[in-house]
Amino acid sequence: MADRLMTPMVDRDSAPYWKALADGRFELQHCRRCGHWNWPPRPVCSGCLGTDLAWEQPSGTGSVYSWVVTHQVYGPDWAQEVPYTIALVRLDEQRDLLVPAILRSGVDAEPGMRVRAVAERIADGIGLLYWEAVRA
Amino acid sequence: MSNPSRFPRGEAAIAGIGCTAYSKDSGVSVFNLAAQAIKAALTDAGLTMADVDGLVTFGPNDSIPPNMLAQGLGIKSMSFYLDHFLGGSVSISTVGQAALAVSAGVADCVVVYRALNGRSELRMNGSGAPRMRQPWDMPYKINAGYIAPSQEIAMAARAHMLRYGTTSEDFGRVAIMSRNHALDNPRAMMHEPLTMDDYLESRWIADPFRKYDCCLETDGAAAVVIVPAERAKDLPHRPVLLQGAAWGGGITIVNNDFDDIADSPARPVAERLYASAGIGPGDIDLVEFYDCFTYSVISQVEGYGFAEAGEVPAMLAEGRFDREGGALPINTHGGLLSEAYIHGINHVYEAVEQIRGEAGVRQVERHDTALVTGQVGYVSGYSSAIILQGA
Repeated sequence: MADRLMTPMVDRDSAPYWKALADGRFELQHCRRCGHWNWPPRPVCSGCLGTDLAWEQPSGTGSVYSWVVTHQVYGPDWAQEVPYTIALVRLDEQRDLLVPAILRSGVDAEPGMRVRAVAERIADGIGLLYWEAVRA
Repeated sequence: MSNPSRFPRGEAAIAGIGCTAYSKDSGVSVFNLAAQAIKAALTDAGLTMADVDGLVTFGPNDSIPPNMLAQGLGIKSMSFYLDHFLGGSVSISTVGQAALAVSAGVADCVVVYRALNGRSELRMNGSGAPRMRQPWDMPYKINAGYIAPSQEIAMAARAHMLRYGTTSEDFGRVAIMSRNHALDNPRAMMHEPLTMDDYLESRWIADPFRKYDCCLETDGAAAVVIVPAERAKDLPHRPVLLQGAAWGGGITIVNNDFDDIADSPARPVAERLYASAGIGPGDIDLVEFYDCFTYSVISQVEGYGFAEAGEVPAMLAEGRFDREGGALPINTHGGLLSEAYIHGINHVYEAVEQIRGEAGVRQVERHDTALVTGQVGYVSGYSSAIILQGA
């Protein structure tokens, strides 16, 4: 993984997010004032424009809303991955939290399929988010 | 509150159009392509480089910018310029902004151009330099291997399939219609007919999108010349008036408040666009929709008010949008899917030819009023559109 050409560029707002993923946790900014969850990371709450944002772990679960099975190799980092499924997942916390990540379960995606977040470290301070099917 | 009805209707006009050959390898520089298309557009307008006082373009850092081009072409001082970062979602925005500048008297002759070696040099879809600063949303897309517009619009297409029962065959009908319209277009890159079997057997790109759901990659350039409508009257061609223009937000990965991407993000743009022109969808004779992918056309037919959500497949099957015999011809040149990928400026070119009545074998019967759009509003969070009308 160290020789990836494209790694997420960490900025001053997102550093805690990538660090949490590197440590195995999926964390979002939860507004202490209005309760709005924000993803991706940002300097102000989109719900109330407040700045008192806590990094918190949501339930980490959600439902598959849509998905794409990528066959085309769009860059060398994914040459060994194709075909891979990107699932757009609606988090349980909030209707407009639609988060895309690779679905790693080796099962076909289905509408409404239950998934949970898993994180994997790829470099110092940087982890990646994946979705994994929740087995009933 | 904005008041789109105050748009300076009919005060600016497209007086000239020009383009290069569209190919997979131009063999020349982007500067060369831009110069060719601009000279052709000026000749068409009966004007010269000495008349030009504004240059406008856009692109994801793959073009020749107005400042360099102006110096290179001998334009001493530009009265107006715009170099809009990004692609198809801002393509038609550039034309609208040039029209505003001309209507306001800021400039008297603005050339809008798009030039790219989009196949032989800098291709879209993740081929950019990985060490450049990533756009704000890119890290989260890289995380997901979700870096190409084809993937993001396929995601919306899947959502539409799940919600309305839209099928691969429906997408295939858009591809086939576009190909049919390109067959007799001398500018088009694609001249072989496309069948439903060809479509269904083509390889997966980003399922639900196959190869023929995706637009072409092209080397080439196109340009249009915008002048005050009064001045256009004295020039050789039927003036093509800018009757309306609108801009709008769309959907990005931030996705604040959008909770169903199957809803067409074109709707708010359409509302402002029709208000700016003082007309409605029933007044449109022909449409050149930004068709980077087949599904984009379906989403825009809904968003621009020509159908209710979920009704488009039946209309496609009836041939409603065919150039011959269709009530509302769409993408009369073959579009980005089958003419060329000049990022939407080729759509403006075609609309102008149609409105002038100079489209030859492709000429549609009713051709006074055309809708031309930019990317429907996925990916970048921008969309744009104009309404053109013959004087």
